[in-house]
Order: sequence, then C-alpha cells, then structure tokens
Amino acid sequence: MQYAKVYAEDVHVGSEMPPLVKPPIQQIQLTRYAGASGDFNPIHQDAAFAKAAGMSDVFAHGMLSMGFLAQSVTDWFGVGTVRKLGVRFAALVRLGDVVTCKGKVVAKHPSVGGTRPSLVDLELWAENQKGEKVITGKATAALVSRT
Amino acid sequence: MPIQINTSVKGKEYPPYRVHVERGKIKEFARAIGDLSPLYLDDAVAAAGPWGDIIAPPTFAITFRDEGADTGVLLRDLGVDIGRILHGEQEFEHFKPIRPGQTYLCRGRVSDIYEKAGKSGPMAFVVRETIVTDSDNEIVALMRGTTVVRL
Repeated sequence: MQYAKVYAEDVHVGSEMPPLVKPPIQQIQLTRYAGASGDFNPIHQDAAFAKAAGMSDVFAHGMLSMGFLAQSVTDWFGVGTVRKLGVRFAALVRLGDVVTCKGKVVAKHPSVGGTRPSLVDLELWAENQKGEKVITGKATAALVSRT
Repeated sequence: MPIQINTSVKGKEYPPYRVHVERGKIKEFARAIGDLSPLYLDDAVAAAGPWGDIIAPPTFAITFRDEGADTGVLLRDLGVDIGRILHGEQEFEHFKPIRPGQTYLCRGRVSDIYEKAGKSGPMAFVVRETIVTDSDNEIVALMRGTTVVRL
C-alpha cells in the first residue's frame, strides 16, 4: 500500500482536487455522527424540535460536512497530511442533500533544505446538488518529495 | 425582541480536562463520516503504515468534550437555549497525530464574543479556543470554533 498518495512534485498552483461526492444525507448518518462526535443537539435528530426552533426540518451537523471536506483532502494527499483545516459553514445541509467536496491548490511552499515536507495551501468548498456552497474553507497539507 | 446574552463570558477559561482516546471511538468517528481509509479502521494495515497504528481523522478532536467545558456549559453561561445556536466557523491546526490509547489534556477558553446583524436578524458570535497537549506536554492540536447565536 502506498501512503504518500501524492508527492510534492505532483501538485502545482491551480491543481484541482478530485471531487469527492458523498451519498445523500440520511437521518441515520446524523444519528451515527451524533453518537460518534458527542454532539446530541436535538436540532439534528428531532424534526419537531427543529421546527419549534424556527427551522424547516432537521439538518446536518456542520462538523459532518467538515469531516467530508477533510476526507476529500486525505483521499487526494493521504492520511496524516493535513496540518491546518479551517472552514466557514455557509448554508445548512439537509436530509437528501448530496454534498460534493471540491478544491484547488492556491500556493505551494517548497521544502527548505529538503529535510522538511513541502506545504501546500488549498482552497476548499463543498456544494449541494443545486450547486450552492454549503461550506467554504482552506487547508494546508504537508507533502513529502518523491526523492 | 432579541434576547440578551451574557457577554461577560468572554475570556472565561474552562477547567482543564483529560481525554483518553479509545481505538473504537476513532473507528466509529471515521465510519460516521463515511471515511473508510484503512489507516483509520484496520489495525493490521495501519500497523505496517507510517505510524505503526491507526491515527484519528483530521476533525476527530471535536469529540474531546467534558461536562465542565462543553457546549451545555457555554449555553448556561451565555443564557442561551440550544435551539438558537448554529456552528459558524471551525479551524484545526495539527502538530502531531492523535493516536489510540493516548491521554490528552485539553484547555479551553472563550476568546471572543461579538455581535453583528445577520441576514435573518441580529447574531452573536462566540469564539472558543482549545489547546490539546499530550503526556510529553507537547502541543498536538489547536481548535478554534465559532458558535453563532440567533438573538
């Protein structure tokens, strides 16, 4: 198995991340994420609660979408490469939504002296099936050299 | 009529707390996201990998919670009902991988509170920062989360 999926030499400013298309959001995934994360806010589980709080229905944890975005980076660059990840939650992700993560390289900081990994800055976002951005952000990943 | 929140919470430091990372929680978290990398899920594959064991996905530290420093405490401090909050922003900075079987120390504080007009009315933004260190007292991760309160 290859752990360094992408080497520093393989990416350049403008390189596009392979889009990650996640399955439609289902209630069971929100329940699993609640259990896994410890975020049991009923607004993600209970439609009556969500409506009483002024929302049209339950909606996904923002952190679930952030998890998708993190996966899109590690699917491309490899597990353990993410040094920084920061996002803004732009719109609610609702039941049935199909979230697609996209991104591109906006800067590359070559290894200094060849002993440290190169750092690659990414612009990231995720869209729903209507093309609306539900999350925007940026990441910095550490990539080793091929040699 | 907008609600008032207790802005004196700005600057509050929460009691430090320890979390022990269980192997099964890492796997449960990766599966909940639908990220099925063997480096999160397969002990044997990960044992032969770069860290000699599974590690946690990049957003796993969001699970580091404590009854003395969780969102419930923040909401009580602010005087806000849970139905009014949304997650506005979140950042992670990673310095070392988070590993199963390790115990980490978390120190959190409310670093900022500010209000501004949102699209659907007045909003308050509450920023919390958490520093995660390991048993060698080395920094493992920094987290910064912004909770939006619909006033």
